[in-house]
Amino acid sequence: MDTFLQIVANGLMLGGLFAIVAVGLTLIFGIVKVINFAHGEFLMVGMYLTFLLSTGMDVHPYLTAAAVAPALFVLGALTQRLLIQPLMSARDEHVQIFATVGLSTALMNLALLVFGADIANTPAHGVRSQVMLGEVRILTGQLWVFGAAILLVIGLQLFMKKTRTGRAIRATAQNRAAARLMGINDKFIYILTFGLGAACVGLGSSLIAPLYPTSPTIGTYFVLIAFVCVVLGGLGSIPGAFFGALVIGLVDALSGFYIGSDLREAVVFTIFLLILILKPSGLFGTRMNLSHVSP
Amino acid sequence: MTDTTSMTQASGGGLSAQKLGLIAVAVLLAGLIAVPVAVGDEFVYHIFITICLFAALSTAWNIVGGYAGQLSLGHAIFYGIGGYAGVILVNLGISPWFGMFAGAAVAVVAAIVVSWPCFRLHGPFFALATIAFLEVFRVLALHFRELTGGATGLMIQLNIGWEWMVFRERLPALLIAFGMLLVCLAVAWAIRSHRLGFYLVATRERESAAKAAGVGTVKVRLMAVSISAALSAMVGTFHAMYLTFIEPESMFSLQFSIQIAMFALIGGIGTVWGPLLGAVLLVPITEFARGALGSEAIGLHGFVYGVVLMLVVLFLPNGIMGVVHRFTSGSEKTEGEQAAPVAAAPRSAVPHEAGREVMRVEGLQKHFGGLHVTNDVGFTLREGEILGVIGPNGAGKTTVFNMLSGFLKPDEGRVSVLSPSGEWQEPATPADFATLGVGRTFQIVQPFAAMTVEENIMVGAFHRHPHVGDAREAARETAHRMGLGPYLNAEAASLTIGGLKRLEVARVMAMEPRILLLDEVMAGINQTDVRRAVDLMLSIRDTGVSIIAIEHVMQAVMSLSDRVIVINSGQIIAQGDPQEVVRDEHVIEAYLGKEFTHA
Repeated sequence: MDTFLQIVANGLMLGGLFAIVAVGLTLIFGIVKVINFAHGEFLMVGMYLTFLLSTGMDVHPYLTAAAVAPALFVLGALTQRLLIQPLMSARDEHVQIFATVGLSTALMNLALLVFGADIANTPAHGVRSQVMLGEVRILTGQLWVFGAAILLVIGLQLFMKKTRTGRAIRATAQNRAAARLMGINDKFIYILTFGLGAACVGLGSSLIAPLYPTSPTIGTYFVLIAFVCVVLGGLGSIPGAFFGALVIGLVDALSGFYIGSDLREAVVFTIFLLILILKPSGLFGTRMNLSHVSP
Repeated sequence: MTDTTSMTQASGGGLSAQKLGLIAVAVLLAGLIAVPVAVGDEFVYHIFITICLFAALSTAWNIVGGYAGQLSLGHAIFYGIGGYAGVILVNLGISPWFGMFAGAAVAVVAAIVVSWPCFRLHGPFFALATIAFLEVFRVLALHFRELTGGATGLMIQLNIGWEWMVFRERLPALLIAFGMLLVCLAVAWAIRSHRLGFYLVATRERESAAKAAGVGTVKVRLMAVSISAALSAMVGTFHAMYLTFIEPESMFSLQFSIQIAMFALIGGIGTVWGPLLGAVLLVPITEFARGALGSEAIGLHGFVYGVVLMLVVLFLPNGIMGVVHRFTSGSEKTEGEQAAPVAAAPRSAVPHEAGREVMRVEGLQKHFGGLHVTNDVGFTLREGEILGVIGPNGAGKTTVFNMLSGFLKPDEGRVSVLSPSGEWQEPATPADFATLGVGRTFQIVQPFAAMTVEENIMVGAFHRHPHVGDAREAARETAHRMGLGPYLNAEAASLTIGGLKRLEVARVMAMEPRILLLDEVMAGINQTDVRRAVDLMLSIRDTGVSIIAIEHVMQAVMSLSDRVIVINSGQIIAQGDPQEVVRDEHVIEAYLGKEFTHA
């Protein structure tokens, strides 16, 4: 029983980690309707920035988020402005996929060029110490990530529902042409949203860096899992991505223990395929207006 | 007359450009052998073998990713299966020449299992699904160590000689790689220039219109992935022999899959020679970078790939072939010619008489959620009859059409069609309806935008004429009849809305249907053309074809229809002779409101 509880706790903590990556992805997907294959590389860039800042200035990695998140916002906004916006009217959706795949490949290999294939360990500053919650042991850093994921989801929901900008973003997502007629600058909204999505993963990267060794290819693993969470939770839904991530975290932890740690990914991706094929609106999905991208 | 001359000029010009292109390809292919033989350097041999392999894989990918428009980023699955099948069988003492066919067979099975459930996914979702399948294959290859050697990989037993595909010299390996490239190019070319290729592109451009034209869209896509997977697996087998060592991380690699797709994109996605061009241009650059800078520049070639990919997408979305095409086809453009009038067909003098029943519609019901869109609609259609369907906007006319052509399944009721052999059948899918000779147009035109007018009509013509030559002949004839003669070589996307309406009718006419469903084909065309179109329909009717036409142009409805059905709120409120129906109280009320019924 203790083992089971421990595994469930590990799964939930892992889910929180996936959530903080998936939230930004689903935001970009839901609003801009672009699948950002470079999202994992955004995470990787953020983790290297955290590593460089926290080792270079000897500060706690969490504090670097104040610089990393804005930096990622700029990266995301530039991606939208320079790469995606010129392709928004493209007849063929291949083009946008290849654009973000190209960005992903370029960023990953740039990191290889600059940092080499070796891993970089961000100093832990105590977040890798364990705490006991009843019978289960958890790293303090995992708790912080989990809490941050919840706050991020609530914050984004409030922003989307309560603020004028948030409403403009949702209106643009619902119907771009109608939003333009209402005087919303859709291009600006897209740039803002892409930046926001990237800033979310920037915040996440500062929290994840002290827990995971950073390598140029770390993004690939996380982005694929994040896609799974996003599809599971219903495309474009922020709370959906969070709960999807918890489910995937649990599946990952439980299948790792009961089926075999080398088959975890196979289980996760099989579930992903089943959802994609059988219930493409996701487990918690409300149907959205995704006219040109819906499966 | 001017039509025919301009057409022959255009096709004559196209032919010489085509010849020039073929010569260029031949020179390029000869260079792939000649250069390494002339230079004689090991490294140059290696580069050219790599070019051939990537060009072959990319050409195979293009059958699915380009022609069929299914963006697979998991093609390494098939390459990996081929590689593992080859190595495992070699280690059992079986020659890779057999192994590659075994690998191809397994890959075909995998391709069908992977793609069948995924065909309902479009664009990014199909891409994501293929990536997920690739990850599953990689993890399974790592897991089943007894078979695959797991993470440590598999070495092949080094038996040297042609029967083992392993050589001390590089030349034989180059020859095999080159041979595989030729096979892939030949298959890709054959598909593109035959019916399957037309069907694939049509399915990519507009799935519903392709279905209406009788294309088995799932079947043609499955054929495409099977062929593509088999070719990729065969190349995979050879590559494994060339590398002499394989491991899951390199055989089932996402990066590798992306590279394969990338060469096709850079060369020109969906074109026969594009993938070859892409590989010829990019492989040497990156291999030289890797060879010259060595391990210092780890990641450099990937960085170059990524940047080139973004630049190509931004500035050359149609790849190198797009640029080539722009230069060669500049002279062929039609110079803003006026659409030729629809050929006025001579009416037969014999008074017309409707024949036996050919379609029976009984008690159709359809609900969309709480909305009752079709309520007990039933009627019969006779051979050689024109049945006009009128009714206010939102009355449910198009919904009825969708049920008459298999695009919607009625909740209740049935549609039966008399087959040419004289039996009543109840078709279910659009393909069934097309097979029985029911052709339809769409109210919102659905052209295959990237195809020429001629190719658009050919997709319909293939229904009766499986050979390209015959289909082209039939398509041209139909085009001239529909006044589309001057536009044969124009892209459908360049037509005006009037032209697109004609194209819509021309495509279905080319199917030589027995029952023709026309959904507002006269909306938005001018008065003269309406009269000509009416004459055309009457002449079609006189050949024994039955027509059901939804129409708002009353002038056309009145002069065309032998009988009229009026639908309002999903119900038939009146039917019979056109002159009587328009005087019917209910009809006037439905169109104009109660106060006009006594006007």
